[in-house]
Amino acid sequence: MSVLLVVLLAVPLLGAAALLVPGPLGKAAVRFGILVSGVVFAVSVAAASVFDYADAGSIQGNVDFAWIPGLGVRFHLGIDGISLPLVVLTALLTLLCFVYLAGHEPERAREFVFALLLLELGMLGTFLSLDLLLFFVFFEVVLIPMYFVIAIWGGPGRRAAAYKFILYTLLGSAVLLVGLLFVWAQTGTLDMVRLAAEHPMSRSAQILAFVAIGLGLAVKTPMWPLHTWLPDAHTEAPTVGSVLLAGVLLKMGTYGFARVAIPILPEGAAAVAPWLGALAVVGIVYGALACLAQRDLKRLIAYSSVGHMGFVLLGFATLTPVGINAALYGNVAHGLITGLLFFLVGALKERHGTADLDQLGSGLLGRLPYVGSLLTFACVASLGLPGLAGFWGEMLALQGAYEPAAGLPRPLFLTFMVIGGLGAVLTAAYFLVMLSKVTHGPWGGPGPGLKDATRVELTAWVPLVVLILVFGLWPSALLGLTTPAVQSLLGVP
Amino acid sequence: MIAALIVVLPFAGALLGLLLSRYPHGRSPAENLAANKRAAWFGVVPTALSAALIGWLAWENTPSTNVLTVIDTGGISITVGLEVTELSVLTAMLVGVVALAVQVYSVGYMRGESRYPSFSAFISLFTSAMLLVVFAADLMVLYVGWEIMGLCSYLLVGHWWEERANSRAAIKAFLVTRLGDVGFLFGIFVLGFAADSFRISDILAADIPQSTLVLATLLLLAGVAGKSAQVPLHTWLPDAMAGPTPISALIHAATMVAAGIFVVARLYVLFPQPTLDVLGVAAAIGMLGAALAAFAQNDLKRVLAYSTISQLAYMAAALAGGARDAAVFHLVTHGAFKALLFLCAGAVIHHVGSNLLHHMGGLRRSMPVTFWTMTIGYAALIGLPPASGFFSKDAILYGLERSTSPIQLLLYGSALLTVGVTGAYATRAWLMTFFGTGKIQALPEPAPGTAHIFDGREAPPSMLWPLGVLAVPALLLGFTDVGEFHLAPAVTALVVALLGAAFVYVVWRGSPERDPARLLGAFRDPCEQAFYVDRLYAALFVRPVLALARGVVRTDDGVVDGAVRGSGRATVGLSGLLRHLQNGNAQLYVTGVLAGVLLIAVGAVMLG
Amino acid sequence: MHVVYPAVVAALLFSIGVYGVLARRNTILVLMSVELMLNAVNLNLIAFDVWLRDVLHSGQVLTLFVIVIAAAEVGIGLAIVLAVFRTRKAIELDRLRDLGEP
Repeated sequence: MSVLLVVLLAVPLLGAAALLVPGPLGKAAVRFGILVSGVVFAVSVAAASVFDYADAGSIQGNVDFAWIPGLGVRFHLGIDGISLPLVVLTALLTLLCFVYLAGHEPERAREFVFALLLLELGMLGTFLSLDLLLFFVFFEVVLIPMYFVIAIWGGPGRRAAAYKFILYTLLGSAVLLVGLLFVWAQTGTLDMVRLAAEHPMSRSAQILAFVAIGLGLAVKTPMWPLHTWLPDAHTEAPTVGSVLLAGVLLKMGTYGFARVAIPILPEGAAAVAPWLGALAVVGIVYGALACLAQRDLKRLIAYSSVGHMGFVLLGFATLTPVGINAALYGNVAHGLITGLLFFLVGALKERHGTADLDQLGSGLLGRLPYVGSLLTFACVASLGLPGLAGFWGEMLALQGAYEPAAGLPRPLFLTFMVIGGLGAVLTAAYFLVMLSKVTHGPWGGPGPGLKDATRVELTAWVPLVVLILVFGLWPSALLGLTTPAVQSLLGVP
Repeated sequence: MIAALIVVLPFAGALLGLLLSRYPHGRSPAENLAANKRAAWFGVVPTALSAALIGWLAWENTPSTNVLTVIDTGGISITVGLEVTELSVLTAMLVGVVALAVQVYSVGYMRGESRYPSFSAFISLFTSAMLLVVFAADLMVLYVGWEIMGLCSYLLVGHWWEERANSRAAIKAFLVTRLGDVGFLFGIFVLGFAADSFRISDILAADIPQSTLVLATLLLLAGVAGKSAQVPLHTWLPDAMAGPTPISALIHAATMVAAGIFVVARLYVLFPQPTLDVLGVAAAIGMLGAALAAFAQNDLKRVLAYSTISQLAYMAAALAGGARDAAVFHLVTHGAFKALLFLCAGAVIHHVGSNLLHHMGGLRRSMPVTFWTMTIGYAALIGLPPASGFFSKDAILYGLERSTSPIQLLLYGSALLTVGVTGAYATRAWLMTFFGTGKIQALPEPAPGTAHIFDGREAPPSMLWPLGVLAVPALLLGFTDVGEFHLAPAVTALVVALLGAAFVYVVWRGSPERDPARLLGAFRDPCEQAFYVDRLYAALFVRPVLALARGVVRTDDGVVDGAVRGSGRATVGLSGLLRHLQNGNAQLYVTGVLAGVLLIAVGAVMLG
Repeated sequence: MHVVYPAVVAALLFSIGVYGVLARRNTILVLMSVELMLNAVNLNLIAFDVWLRDVLHSGQVLTLFVIVIAAAEVGIGLAIVLAVFRTRKAIELDRLRDLGEP
């Protein structure tokens, strides 16, 4: 298992390095990318099969050796029930992105594949690392390739969007670093496992550290009001960039809460949780209202991400096993569903040249039946319909808010629950209104027109559809992994 | 085990229908026909099997529970299981028969439609979801089925989505019920946490304090009001008539709207008097208001829609008054005769090419089978013997008369008045459809995606058989409960109903070409607009929310993002200030160095 | 004699040099003031070398270094001043602001 974890990181790195060898590549670049990400996906599936599910609460596959002895920084990797689903999700989404690219060859393909492989390295590394500084390094590594993906292969406003993205998230990361260094200074160790087991910091120190680390992670999540980089980044990013940004990068922020902030700083978390919950709930309603008035489809889905991450943060804020389970479930579900949404909207944008609702026309279910039906499916999943993956995250978060952890103000959290429920209704409203504008309405009858979903596109989309159904109808698949890990995280017997 | 099969069979039919009907794929007319045939098999066969299994369960009559797995969420675990009770079997029987009838009927009604495969698949999915609600052993599992029904309602009401009005009606249906469903979910939370389990059997047996019960059941009522179209969440039902008539029969007459009443009946022991009073008041208002609205409608389907709201309020009133068994009885009979009425209406609309009452007339000669079955349906609705509605209404009125509820008088009075108005509107619809001179007009070639075709004959057999099948229970179901018959309330009801009917008949007789609803005079407009509740909601909720949404976007751009952009501008401004120090004068720089050195020296001397 | 006397003289010379560097406009005067400062430092080095009776005479050695470097620096400085005068016809230090922000 330890070998598998190292391989997971080594393969994208070597793949990217191989692309540096000069020479003409052309179409082979994307195929090489499919090969590398396919290998990574296979390794992640192997790791999932070797994983001991009965012991999902403890760290498996430990890799621990000294990296910078002078500073006490160690190269510490490991995987448990919280990170395993995210690792597999990352590998899967990257593979599907490459498959999608095979049907939509980009210019400067070699550079694009290079950027994506580095991105994959950073994403996987974040989920696997168990040392605070190592975590931070991988956390930062994703920013540069993402910046280039947006700045070079993006839409017309890509420069400004890319600047905003990188500067804003870098600012957040700086605050995060301050928090991590403060923890290091107070405790003398950077090892997440030891810190989570011992909790050696005083209460006020924990609160300070939680605020700093929380702010840094909140920019990435994104939490209201630190979310304004997301709509611009999504609008201008290419399809594949949006999928990875929404599908994985946002998860890194919330994963930080689950792995770093809450286990290491429980008292800090308890003190800040009401604020976290309040901002989360504002995000849910704010995101939903902003979506109702959006004209651009990608921007709409970006704001919907703000809303969904609001539910995730609400789950974290309750500090109960149910709530954190909800957050982790919502993470994976959002990755799958919003990944699919961005794939579909990207396909629409490429066919019509625009993502503007007024210019897309109507009657998509007639013009492009497959794309239209899949869009309906994805939107229905995103609004949290039971039977599809999104439901469990939302419902369990509300359930956690109904009875938060002892010591948290219950009436406040009940208010959060009610507002969250209303937010869910608003979510349904905007998705249905958007679907009505795009998929319903007159369409001029059958005849030659735009091409419906191609075989390559369907290959990229169907795995996501299947997984959304599987995780919707069989929640134990994921809950069985996360519940023991969450219980050991919270110290609940 | 059998219950599991019952729920899963239609679901499998839906999946197969969606994925495999069009295999190999293509949309030429010949391939469409083949796809429709395959889809018809995928639709009818699983539902028939399921209905047969339900019949066997009813025959066996043994309660049982079947647990598949327990989901550990870290909090209160969710039991994925099915429970067979008497109430469940009865309701399931209703669902199975009506669903089967609708599937068969749709084969004829949607003949030639290119989107029939998805239509029948969604009907199967809906059937599966409703059966899940009926057989659920756990409130969360029930909620899953509950919401999936909402989705199917959206997909089916919006089946002819080329018309924007249909799309809007579908959205309205989903959103109004979803609003209720949020309250329903919270009610489930309250009950689950109070009983430390989501299993219905555990909750029914648990000892929950009264105040918690009141809160929980009031929240549950929100969902019930949404799904069963009670005041104030009833506004979606009339607009949902935009969908094809078979689904109006299935979803909006017989099954989905009945789910709310079913849940109240299932959890009846939990409902304390305050909640029942609230339900009763809403029911009293709803039944009379909806009946008056039905009287003033021009569209046949809307008449039946408001009639549904009124009859559901009847059942709710019975539940509020403590007459649970009467309510369930009426649920079943109403399911049969309302579905019958809708399917007959579908046949009429199919024949005439229009929904509007003043386009119909004199159809009893050209559509005899439909005439007789629809007459049976109307008789059941009004409560004329020997139709089933007579017995079930009698049971309700008897229960209301002897009720111990604080609002008993309101409930009983409202119910009696409604009987009269029901007689009036049913007779009006019956007369205007089947009597008088024919007003059939040939319509132009229908636009793609509409099923209004001008047909000069009686409906095809695939549409007539379900009518016949449903007419039997509509007529005879009353006799299954004949032991509970009470003469006095029955006679009262009959007299009031006949009064209403006779009044309309006399007015109609006076001038057969004119609409009897003109009697309402100035009151007609409010009735037709259902007392402007729709407009009120649009002004109170829809417009403010949309305005708020626009405000949020502006705030986001101006304030939140403005702060972000402003921080960039502030940084640049600050750097501009600092740049003034770099004026190129070397002597200034050296002066700065000197000052710094002096400061350091002083500091070192003072601190060291 | 006590080391105070040369130290004070050196300090005075250094101060005059600092005044010259910071306040005079003529570049050549600034260069002369720099020379003044360097020579004040030299004086200081010799004085302390004698007073401390350094075996290695490091003060005197360093003084020789400073004299050489000062000479080289003045050579280059005057060459720059000449070049600037040839192109701009002015050697006032506060008028030479090309390295400043616009």
